[in-house]
Amino acid sequence: MLNVAKRLVTYEMLSNTSRETNTQVAFHVGDRLRPQLATLMGNGGYRALLLRALVLAKAEAPWLRAVQVNMDGSLKGLEELHAQLSPTHFFDCSVVLLAQLLLMLVAFIGENLTLHLVREVWPNVSLNDLEFGKGATSEKDG
Amino acid sequence: MKKTVKAAKPTLPKKIVGKPAKVTIRKLASGVPGLDDILGGGLPEFSFNIIAGTPGCGKTTMAHQIVFANATPTKPALYFSVLGEPVIKMLRYQQQFTFFDESKLNKAVRFINLSDMVLEKDLNAVLEEIIKQVTEANAGIVVVDSFRTLARKARSDVGDVEVQAFVHRLAQFLTSWEATTFLVGEYVEAETHNNSLFTLVDGIFWLSQATERNSVVRKLQIIKLRGQATVPGLHTVRINGGGLQAFSRTLGLIGNKKKPAQRRQLSIGIPELDKMLGGGILEGDSLLVAGPSGTGKSALATQFIAEGLRCGEPGIMAIFEERPEGYTQRAATFGLNLQRAIQKGTLEALYLRPLDLSVDETMQEILDAIKRVGAKRLVIDSLVGFEMALAPGFRADFRESLYRMIGALTGAGITILSTVEVEDNFTSLQFSHYAISFLTDDIIRLRYVEIDGQLRKVMVVIKMRGGNHSKDIREYVITNKGVVVIHPRRTDYNGLITGIPQRSGPRKAQESEAAPEPKATK
Repeated sequence: MLNVAKRLVTYEMLSNTSRETNTQVAFHVGDRLRPQLATLMGNGGYRALLLRALVLAKAEAPWLRAVQVNMDGSLKGLEELHAQLSPTHFFDCSVVLLAQLLLMLVAFIGENLTLHLVREVWPNVSLNDLEFGKGATSEKDG
Repeated sequence: MKKTVKAAKPTLPKKIVGKPAKVTIRKLASGVPGLDDILGGGLPEFSFNIIAGTPGCGKTTMAHQIVFANATPTKPALYFSVLGEPVIKMLRYQQQFTFFDESKLNKAVRFINLSDMVLEKDLNAVLEEIIKQVTEANAGIVVVDSFRTLARKARSDVGDVEVQAFVHRLAQFLTSWEATTFLVGEYVEAETHNNSLFTLVDGIFWLSQATERNSVVRKLQIIKLRGQATVPGLHTVRINGGGLQAFSRTLGLIGNKKKPAQRRQLSIGIPELDKMLGGGILEGDSLLVAGPSGTGKSALATQFIAEGLRCGEPGIMAIFEERPEGYTQRAATFGLNLQRAIQKGTLEALYLRPLDLSVDETMQEILDAIKRVGAKRLVIDSLVGFEMALAPGFRADFRESLYRMIGALTGAGITILSTVEVEDNFTSLQFSHYAISFLTDDIIRLRYVEIDGQLRKVMVVIKMRGGNHSKDIREYVITNKGVVVIHPRRTDYNGLITGIPQRSGPRKAQESEAAPEPKATK
């Protein structure tokens, strides 16, 4: 799942046209999924899912300890994290969090439906060469 | 795949005066096997319905089946989740069913969580959101689940009148929008009284669960469906891998083709017995073969089926007491190759040991098999085994359901041979230990008799509704040709039917009374 998350985050960064730096955009990938998931689960449901994903991600990326989930499902503490970490580590943190979020979706609704949702949000990102939903977040690039 | 009963093509009336054409209500396929028959053809398009019942009855699953059966990208289904099962859990569980088509997700089938809105805003906002979503999506099917929770929350906030007004406006909008709507809710029967919702809706689909000893059965009742003649009563429902399946009380047999006017006499495969039956069993008759264990009921049934196959009549054997292999092996000892017919698809041996199935479901299995092979002959071996194979709670319905099935099948020209085990006593001749004789047109009774120190077997045709029959009591044996009727009627004994006859004629020499029972060999 790390590879999938990495590709999605990279895609978002490359297609960034906002004033934000590319590294800052990395964490906004979750925001892209938010409307889709909030429609299905409500804002509360999305927040609960993200909260759990964050807890799991912290085990792999301890720097995420500084990040919290706001009531509206947005993330708090990203600026501080961005200031503390190198761009590479910041990127990695966003990838780990997204991977955990996707893995949780896979656990709930299965690979097919999760992939279906991801493809709706990122129709132009090809994921066919990646093993979606397989392995832990700490898998190595294949 | 959208399945609808095709609507009549609109045509202009030929004359201006005269009786105006009535509206044709299109019927949508429910996607629930068996339900369309119960509904009288399908779901009325643009109707406003409620799917109600206690928890665990299959309400949400039924709603999903309807949604997936009817939603298209141009006329999508909107599934509003309100303070009930979260959508993510619905997706988790509903995808286990075969009807779930993930390719329809977010295109033809869209899930929308309204829980936050219900919690944070008032009913007007909820209604506005539903109107907005339905309008934007051009929805053809709308589900609100759980409507009871929504109404309950609103009732505690604003009171009954506001809730009624909300329901009224919702129904008005969705019907005007030409959407077919299903409100899903956990209701108990008492809540239907004095509840305007149940007055307002066009259809009430009531699901329930009943426990009887160790068995649980789900039932469906269509309490109301405006504009359509539904099948009344409680229908068995089962949830399996395909979702809900409903079993109509009429077993979908209403309107089946009728018995042919000219009925042939069918050979039973035992020439002497055919003669006793006045030339054979009438096509479309229900024949009951009653007798104690070991008298050859199954052998006779095998010969009946084999003779049908020989005459080009496919058959079904519904077996409850032994395995199909035992049946085909015994047939082989009689020189009858049933295995070939099974391979050819002209014969099916159903081994039914359901234990917790309802009688309707079991009968549906038989009916499906009859359709599959185009059966003309059916063997049920035995009725006692059939009844015993059912869960205790369903045995009360056994005779009623059997009556319906036999009536409908024989009405369609299928000839049925059922066996029933009865215990012989030696004072009277029972036909059956329970009153099922009324189900049958013809009865053959087999029994043991004691003759010259031997336990022999005799048969007699007790009844033939469609014609005359022999009144003779005939001795028979089971040989490697199957059941073979031997001696002509015995005039040298009285009281054969008691099983302990008295010799009334001269005693023949013993050597001519050799045991007529060469055992069937493999």
